[in-house]
Amino acid sequence: MVAALTIDALEVDFSGFKAVDGMTTVINEGELRVVLGPNGAGKTTLMDLISGKTASTGGEVRLFGRDITNRPEHQIARAGVGRKFQIPSVFRDLTVHDNLRVAVSHEPRVFRNLRLGMAPADRARIDEVIALTGLEPVLDVIAGDLSHGQMQWLELGMLITQQARVILLDEPTAGMTQAETLKTADIILKLKGNHTLLVVEHDMAFVRKIAERVTVMHLGRLLAEGPMAKIEQDPAVRDAYLGSGGAH
Amino acid sequence: MTGNTLFKLGDWGIYALFIVTVLGLPLVMDDVFWLNRISKYLVYGMLGIAIALSWGYAGILNLGQGLFFGLGAYMVAMSLKLQSYTSTQQGSDMPVPDFMLWNAEPGAPTELCCIVQGSWLWLPFQSQWFGMAMAIVLPVLIALVLSSAIFRLRVSGVYVAIITLALVLLVRLLIIDAQPITNGFNGLTDLGWLTVAGIEFDPYMVSTYYVVAVSTCVVLLLTRWLVSTRAGLILQSTRDDPNRSRYLGYDVAAYQVFFFTVSAGIAGFAGMLYVIAAEFASPSFLDITFSISMVVWAAVGGRSSLIGAAIGAILINTIEATASETEMFQEAWKLIIGVIFVLVVLYMPRGLAGLAQDLLGRISSARGSGDKQAARSGAPAE
Repeated sequence: MVAALTIDALEVDFSGFKAVDGMTTVINEGELRVVLGPNGAGKTTLMDLISGKTASTGGEVRLFGRDITNRPEHQIARAGVGRKFQIPSVFRDLTVHDNLRVAVSHEPRVFRNLRLGMAPADRARIDEVIALTGLEPVLDVIAGDLSHGQMQWLELGMLITQQARVILLDEPTAGMTQAETLKTADIILKLKGNHTLLVVEHDMAFVRKIAERVTVMHLGRLLAEGPMAKIEQDPAVRDAYLGSGGAH
Repeated sequence: MTGNTLFKLGDWGIYALFIVTVLGLPLVMDDVFWLNRISKYLVYGMLGIAIALSWGYAGILNLGQGLFFGLGAYMVAMSLKLQSYTSTQQGSDMPVPDFMLWNAEPGAPTELCCIVQGSWLWLPFQSQWFGMAMAIVLPVLIALVLSSAIFRLRVSGVYVAIITLALVLLVRLLIIDAQPITNGFNGLTDLGWLTVAGIEFDPYMVSTYYVVAVSTCVVLLLTRWLVSTRAGLILQSTRDDPNRSRYLGYDVAAYQVFFFTVSAGIAGFAGMLYVIAAEFASPSFLDITFSISMVVWAAVGGRSSLIGAAIGAILINTIEATASETEMFQEAWKLIIGVIFVLVVLYMPRGLAGLAQDLLGRISSARGSGDKQAARSGAPAE
């Protein structure tokens, strides 16, 4: 097994408050890892630290053995980390198709992009993503006019187009209907194997559908890690949720 | 599908119509006074394009575009001043601008190198090509340094507008203050004509009009190509959601710097052409009102359309020239333009271009989805 993402004693200190406090975990290539934890456990902050949004004050993040700790966001992205935000973040004034075109980012430099059109291989990849996400009927729609679910799928599609080796998903089903959640689970399951995924999610039905290994965080630290069935029986996990006011 | 094709055709049709009109104008208009006027408005049109590029496509509101225009103008004006009889006939071997003699201390040598403090800066401008090159190089260099600082620090929105606004005022003060070498408030006047291969470009000649007209068309098509490239698309993505662009791996600042600098280069080029057509350069080019006027032109024409902004600039200036000569409108004109601006911002945020696009969109969707649907949605039949 190749370690895709290694988080090693990661720590961030917000003037005295340690939102992430010595978190350690290893995610293998092709794995789908779900991160659980009560509110304030540091799940989203962990994603911020991995993707470079927030600078860590200790520890290390390694991507396929390469140190990416505290690099600028675009360099971490180029190294192979893709991120989906809790609030859908797409280019709202561009069409769906253009959103996907921008997501073909293997050549990020300005002067190399001073050309019209795209390579056939890139076009083919966009077409694959369109098929996977079912965005075909809305290709020419301005992204800001999409429904909430479609917007989430578009963002997911952009991460796939980007060919991110490790994909971070922050509550991908937040605000979705039952049917939309199911479709999202399908898309995510199809990605497993080709991509390494790290998913933060509260919807337990959804988690049971997609999860294999689960990491539970509490107070910025690793509380438990293992298969879903085992985690649900873990007394320490139960205590953590009850102690902070119950599970979601 | 047919609707979409029609839409594209309409878009290119407007470009073609614009270029044919601009290039064909001298065939129908033989009033050289008006041709000269319109060549100045075409320069303003170029400024509209520069504003649309940075404001519409990059989301960067530059309230100091006059800085780059003014610098471009001064650079070429310095060269043309040295070619004017007011510089060549001052009794020295080397040309010396007349105002430097007026400002010189008694007994100072009447040489360009040392007649007043700092006059040596003028030495390389004896070459007209140096002045013309600097008209683009200097704005580009300043824009590069300025925008690198601004965008690396992730300054955005209204703060960029304030910084650029402050900077244009600062440079304006510096130019006025350096009166011995810039002629201060009066600017550079009594300029010579641009001379290329023995041909003198008298501003009131058709050939000068064509220099400006062809330049405007070339700039329009080049910027249109630029925004159609992948880089142009990525730039628009950084305008919508810079964070998303970053997480896709793009260095957002690099794109902003590139397009801000291109916009500055266009403004510098426009400044150069303006001097060739208007025969003067003055600190008024760096007035706040002028920089803000450019933004108004672009807003009225449509800031997210290059050709819309150009047409907005040309149209407003043409109407202004006509209206301000009518006694009734002479004083009221500024008020009228203010009201138009407010109305456009409130009710037509995409300007004239948006209006044209809506119309074209309706026509093409009517064509594309058949007569029945068109009739149902009440779209015009033409």
